[in-house]
Amino acid sequence: MTEIAAVAEDMGRASLALARRFNSGATMWCTSPSWPFHASHVAVEFVHPVIVGKRALAAVTVPIGADVVATLRANVRPGDIVVALAGSDDPQVTDAMRRGEAWGVETVWIGAGSDRPASGSADHVIWLDTDDPLEASECFVRIYHLLWELTHVVFEHPGLLKDVAQDVVCTEEVCITCSDEGRLTEVVSVEGDEAVVRALGVEERIDVSLIDPPRPGDLVLVHAGFAIR
Amino acid sequence: MKESTDFLYPFIEGDETDAGSLLVDLAKSAEEKWAVSTELRVATLTRCDEQLRTIAGLMAERFVAGGRLFAFGNGGSATDADGVAQLYTRPPSGRALPSRSLVEDRAVITALGNDVGYDKIFSRQIIAHARAGDMALGYSTSGNSENLLVAFAEATKRGLLTIGFAGIDGGRMGVDPNVEHCVIVRSQSVHRVQESQASATHVLWAYVQEALASAIRV
Repeated sequence: MTEIAAVAEDMGRASLALARRFNSGATMWCTSPSWPFHASHVAVEFVHPVIVGKRALAAVTVPIGADVVATLRANVRPGDIVVALAGSDDPQVTDAMRRGEAWGVETVWIGAGSDRPASGSADHVIWLDTDDPLEASECFVRIYHLLWELTHVVFEHPGLLKDVAQDVVCTEEVCITCSDEGRLTEVVSVEGDEAVVRALGVEERIDVSLIDPPRPGDLVLVHAGFAIR
Repeated sequence: MKESTDFLYPFIEGDETDAGSLLVDLAKSAEEKWAVSTELRVATLTRCDEQLRTIAGLMAERFVAGGRLFAFGNGGSATDADGVAQLYTRPPSGRALPSRSLVEDRAVITALGNDVGYDKIFSRQIIAHARAGDMALGYSTSGNSENLLVAFAEATKRGLLTIGFAGIDGGRMGVDPNVEHCVIVRSQSVHRVQESQASATHVLWAYVQEALASAIRV
């Protein structure tokens, strides 16, 4: 059986983030295109705790067979959580995860296999080395049970529930979130050299004359009203 | 004014700000629970090995004769039933076998729950679909789910092979004559029970595949 040591710290950090997000009113979106039963299990775990007296948390499954990105784009609110159980080659999950920043959601990617997602593919990557699909499946059950258990441990530490990420605001002359690299946004519509983009649930009109014409759904980096990549 | 006992409850005021020590505790807790789960897995698979072999042999005979597997359960156990249906029909290796989860069709579940009662959501589907020679596989961590016991009674009446996966001490499923074979994961923790049930499910499936392979060779 797979050893836990390699991912124990990742699970701890993910649980702290989940507790903070839930404490701020997050909904957790669960998806697993290849193993939909795992996504359902995660959601029911958080909504209907096995231990009487624990808080019911807002978790929901992306419907089986649904377009994952379209479903999430329409439903997530900034501050929500997206949890995916998928191999690194899952195209829908890969696409959803890279939009996490533009949507303003905390992303958790649980998976297994020698082929890991690239570094930074999600806020939290909890990855097992095994290539045995049944062993991986058994480990997934343990991992989401533990995420639930640890999240409730964090709730016992109210002083640590303040969501640090939400403290970041652009009050300085040079914005610390977009000074160099720009902000990631999702294109809503394009009209000539102008486009409407959305980030963190807010739409704005930008100039796209500096880049190849984007299409709705594309991710573009915006700096000072211009798409720069 | 600080109470002299504050040192016993350092964070009771909610003024804890350094997450570092909590993160260390969380990782340690995860490792400890993982070890408990692994121990229970080994103990369960060792204790139940012969039973799982026996069940697999009976299931293989039924599959060869055209039997189908119906899986069911509530809540997290419902997702186990869905997982079983996926594992048997779309296996990572071996032979695809006819299997369905009785919780997958929400129209049927809600119709039966609304019109005839939640205790009959599985039994009514068994009446509609099952024939002698089929198999009923129900999951419950407590072993006490009413709708499973009703379904097992109906399944027995109709000549199905009945298999239960239960936890804790087996509950009512552990002693019900309508559950011909009851695999019991002996733990008080619902989570740990489900984790070992997942392992036993995989072993049972592997043994069914083995039994089928040797049945074909003979």
